Amino acid sequence: MIESPSGVLKARTLSLLSPLLLALVLALEASARPVSYVGGWTIIETSNRQSTAALVHYTATPKLSVGGRMEWDRNTGFVMTAVQPTWLAKRWFGQDFQANVYLTGGLGFATGIDGNAIGSDAAYFAGVMADWETRRHFLSYEARFLDAGHFGHDFMQAGHVGWAPYEGDTGDLHTWLMLEVDHRPDALESVGVTPMIRFFKNTLLVELGYNIIEHQPLANFTFRF
Amino acid sequence: MNIKRNFMALCLTVLACGAAADNHSGDSHAGHQHGDTHGASAMMDHGSHDEMRDHMHQHDEGEHDVATGEHEAHVTGAVTLTRTPEIDAALAKGGEPIVADVLGVVCDFCATAMNKIFGKRAEVAAIYVDLDTKALSIVTHEQGSLSDEDIGSLAEQAGYRVAAVRRGAAALGS
Repeated sequence: MIESPSGVLKARTLSLLSPLLLALVLALEASARPVSYVGGWTIIETSNRQSTAALVHYTATPKLSVGGRMEWDRNTGFVMTAVQPTWLAKRWFGQDFQANVYLTGGLGFATGIDGNAIGSDAAYFAGVMADWETRRHFLSYEARFLDAGHFGHDFMQAGHVGWAPYEGDTGDLHTWLMLEVDHRPDALESVGVTPMIRFFKNTLLVELGYNIIEHQPLANFTFRF
Repeated sequence: MNIKRNFMALCLTVLACGAAADNHSGDSHAGHQHGDTHGASAMMDHGSHDEMRDHMHQHDEGEHDVATGEHEAHVTGAVTLTRTPEIDAALAKGGEPIVADVLGVVCDFCATAMNKIFGKRAEVAAIYVDLDTKALSIVTHEQGSLSDEDIGSLAEQAGYRVAAVRRGAAALGS
């Protein structure tokens, strides 16, 4: 079957745009609480030195959200599609702080892309996230183990520290200066350092950074509705 | 596979710590400015919501310390109703002013969550979440009312916890 020139052009355009669309549809987690208010929807996109991911989740109870996740592992060349529940294991409240521990997991399948000869295989992951936040300071830690069958397994952990130069009130633009240090034992550079800036207003959160070890950009966003 | 085994062990440890902390939730709230709120915090904890229902009850005005059940008409330094055009308009129509001190409010997502949850209630005419004072200001419709229990439950759905509720003159600071 011979494709028309316009069909070829359309296919090429789609193949070029799909990673961008995926990046836009997926991105941002530990910093954007993965369990929202009851009945709330959240779109989270994260893009770091290894992967680009999107999660759309619905908060069913004050302690549980369930969503769909797509994650493109650029290093290995596969896309994982999974159902991802996240459980708020513990929340500590104070007058000036909040701290949380979340457990998350996912079950789905991984499909090879970018010429990866492996077709498709089952995939699962399990992770833990913890954060402590005031209006001026932020600390978080996350770790995840992913088993993507024939595509291999992957472990990562990352810590974030953040500082807000001013305290914005409700509806103001909030600005944070942050630093991410991530550890990926299987990566070319096992430790990455990414300074980033976070902008936060109403229901939209955007983080932009640059990994100074592997020279890769970071772009995350979260939107709630 | 060692990594995998260690990671699963870490997850189990976190679970065990969370369960242990649940049994001592009051310990994490020492120093709260509204007096002895250890019990209040524990009451508003998700795991002990029934206990909260037993202790909270409605009152016409004054502060209800959810820990002790005591009512104070005037509390020195207590946060009063945040005034916005919407809140002033609702007050002018005869709505009841309510101020709730909320724990854990540190960002705009918190404010959005409470706006969404409380805003769905027909009784609510106006609402404002003040990050500076960590207070939720509500004015009900003239014919509507929200009990302390309702406010605690709605805050819980938003993911937060109410420490104290003031109404009427105490909410207005008069």
